Order: sequence, then C-alpha cells, then structure tokens
Amino acid sequence: MSLVVSYIPLVVLAVLSLGFAPLAWWMSRFLRPNRPTQWKDTTYECGSVPIGEAHVQFRFQYYLFAIIFVVFDLVATFLLVWTLAFSGFTAEAKMWGLVFLGILLVGVAYALKKEEFIWI
Amino acid sequence: MGYSGLLEWVKFNNPMDNAYYPYDVYNLPYDAGAKLWELLGGLLGWLINLLVPGNRLSTWLISDAVVNAFAIIFLAVILFAVGFVVNLTMIWEERKVLGRMMDRRGTKIGPLGYFQCLGDGLKTFMKENVAPADKDKKIYWWALSLVIGSSVLIACMVPLSHRWFVVDYSTGLLLIFGIFALAPFFILCAGWAQNNKYSLLGGIRAATLMISYEIPMLILLASVVLMAGSFNINDIVNAQFDTMWYIVPQFIGFIVFVVCAIAESERVPFDLAEAEAELVEGWQTEYAGMKWGLIMLGDYFRGYTACALIVILYLGGWMLPGIGATAVPELVFLLKIFAVFFIFIWARASLPRVRIDQILNIGWKRLMPLSVVNLCIVLLLKMGGVF
Repeated sequence: MSLVVSYIPLVVLAVLSLGFAPLAWWMSRFLRPNRPTQWKDTTYECGSVPIGEAHVQFRFQYYLFAIIFVVFDLVATFLLVWTLAFSGFTAEAKMWGLVFLGILLVGVAYALKKEEFIWI
Repeated sequence: MGYSGLLEWVKFNNPMDNAYYPYDVYNLPYDAGAKLWELLGGLLGWLINLLVPGNRLSTWLISDAVVNAFAIIFLAVILFAVGFVVNLTMIWEERKVLGRMMDRRGTKIGPLGYFQCLGDGLKTFMKENVAPADKDKKIYWWALSLVIGSSVLIACMVPLSHRWFVVDYSTGLLLIFGIFALAPFFILCAGWAQNNKYSLLGGIRAATLMISYEIPMLILLASVVLMAGSFNINDIVNAQFDTMWYIVPQFIGFIVFVVCAIAESERVPFDLAEAEAELVEGWQTEYAGMKWGLIMLGDYFRGYTACALIVILYLGGWMLPGIGATAVPELVFLLKIFAVFFIFIWARASLPRVRIDQILNIGWKRLMPLSVVNLCIVLLLKMGGVF
C-alpha cells in the first residue's frame, strides 16, 4: 500500500486522542456544579491576595544551555541518519562522521567549562 | 451473489483481501474492527434488504471501502480502549506498590482495590470548574488539550506486538519520540497562560528539564538504531531476538535511558515542573477539577510510553529469548512494561526530588558523557563485527 494510505489510521487515532480531553471536559459540564464567587476568579497564591501579574518578561538563567541544546538537537538528528546508514558506509565516511561528532563534543566540553558559573 | 440468507451478508472475509487494506502485514485490531463492522453492517444491510429488496445501500454497506473505513475507526477505538485499561492498571499498580513501600495498604475499593481509580476519576469528573478570570483563555485551553492529547496519542501509537500497531513503517519510533518531546513546549505555554507565578515557574522548569534530558535520549536512540540497523520497531525487536537483549551490551545506555525516561514522563525525582513542595502544583496550579484529573491521566499515559520505549529498545520487546513470540505476545509485552514501571515506582518511593540548579549539570555533565560512552561502545562492537 502507498505511504499516504498507511497513515490514515494514524490520522484517525490522532483525531480521537486529541478530541478525548475536550470531549471529557465538555461532558463533565452536565454533572458538575457551577457556583462562581469573586474569590474563585482570582489566581491562587496560597490564600493571600495576588500581587501583580504573572504575564511578565521572565529571565531564565540557562540561556547558554538553550543555545547548545539547539545546536546539539540538530547534531542528534544528523547522528540518527548517520547511524541508520552506518553499515553501508565506507571507512572514510564512518571516520568523517566521528570527526564531526568529536569536534562538537569538544565544543560543548569547552562551553560547559568556560561557563561553569552560569547559574545565578 | 444471491444476498438471500444472513450468512451471505456476514462473511468474515480475510481483511488483507480488502482492496483498501492500509498495511503490508497482518494487523489484529484492524481485523477485529473489520469483523465487527461486517457483523453490524452486514446485519443492517440484511435488514434493509428484507424491507427493500435489491437496493444499493445494502451492498454499499458491506463494500470494501465502507468496511475499511469502519475498520480503521474501530481500530482507533480499540487501541484507545486497550491503552486506557492498561493505564488504569498502571495507576492501580503505582498506588498499590507505593502504598506497600510506605507501609500502608494503598487502594481499597473493588477487587484488590482496582476500582479506586474509577472512583477518583468520577470524583474529579463532578468537580466544579474553577479557573482564574484573567487567564489567557485560548492558550489555557489549547495547551491543556494538546498536553493530554499528545500523551494519549503516543501511548496509543506504541505497538504491543508485531500484529498490534498503528504505523508499520520506520517512522513509527521517530514519531513517538517526536510527539513525546512536544509536551514540555505545551506545558511552557500552559504555565504562562494561567497568569499565576507558580505555574509560570513550573512551565519554565519543564523547558529546563527538557533541555537537559533530550540530547542523551536521542544519542541513546542513535546507539540502538546503530546496533539494529533500522528505525522500525519490529526490526529492532527481531534484531534483539537474533542476537541478545540490548541491555547486555548497552548496560550504561539502559541506566541512562531509564533516568531520561523518568525525566521525560516527569515523575519523581524529576517532577520539577510540578514540585508540590515548592510550587503548590507547578504548572497545573490553576487547572482544577476534571482538567487536573485529565492531566494526571495524561501523566500515566506518558509513563506507560516511557516504559514501553525501554522495553522495546533494551528488553527485547514482545519476544522472549529462546522462545520468540508466544501465542499472546501482547501480554508478554505488557508484563514487561509493568515490571519496568515497578522500577519507576521504586525510584519514586526512594529518591528525593532533584534541585532545579542540579538538573542541567546532571543532564549535560553526567548523562550526556555517559550516553556518548555508550555510543562509542556500540561503535566498537559494530566495527569489530560482533553485531
């Protein structure tokens, strides 16, 4: 069978599983009570009156890790393709793949060593 | 064809003879779905034909195209139902084992306490909808649906045996890994949308966690693929049957993968995004009632998928060494999953939560070098001609 046809069951399954949560939620409205008060409308901050908004520009402190992550995610993708085709490679092709991986690993090791005190 | 007796309507054809059969190999849930529709549709067609003889609707109901369409729908429903029951069993296992480890009884309702989860589900079903007024409404709902939906989808995509699958191609494993990795992104969105400080922090933490375990996990996947020479789950399982379970040559990889899988399913000790001791309920703080119940259910779907991936990649899938596929390979596979899940529960009962400032160091300075070492071992074995 063609490739497109073989994915039709997956599409049906995806519709079913993505629709599961909204459907269950929608069905529960026939059973659940609805007694809103002004206190239920506030955000939860351990019982005290909420201070300020949480829709803020948040500073997360692992920016460097995030950059390395993006680079290495791509490397992992290359690695997956390389390993899949591994047994068909010549010795030279195998070596260049390893050299590529090695250079990136050295880069990551250097970055981690240099930014050892990145945290706070 | 005469179409006179009932047996001419309900024939139970071989599903692989169907002109629209979507796969290359036999699929049990599809077969069950096709037979179910032949029973229902054939009965309906027979009845309509009794009232209006010789109409075209009746023959259309049992034509190949209609049978195929309903077989696919039933296939999806069967996969979902089985996944759901397996998940209830896993929740029951967790509560029972965790209870014993904490020196209490765990669940008590129903035979061996099995029905307690159903009772709890019904309870969350009837809880009032409490949501903050100044949330970002669209993202609040969509992110929640997608977190749960993607978790349920990957759990249903896990093949239980060579005849129980939804995608039979090499992309099956890649798709599971890809959709598995999507959830932290939705969690980040959900955490932001709630306009709550705790959930914002929880969402950010989910992203942190993902950054630290995703790379080692992919490198370990690459090592397994290198050893088996294929992305197809069926091929990986068969390759392990032909040689040995990959836990033996890749023991380091197995340990690292278990750690990564626990992190991926966001369970203790890696439940930083939830961290109820510090962040109330983490990114789920403003999801009350049924929403929270669904999130909990989705968590177990993710845990199930993580266990299934461990079993597929390292523990020989549905095959038993020396025996091969038994009469019910699905059951063997599920038993292996429950055994792996026991390790997860054990870790939850024994270990304290990892601190947020430790997680990136664990990921990049421990798991990542170990996974590269594992890859090197596999490379040496492969080049040495052992595999």
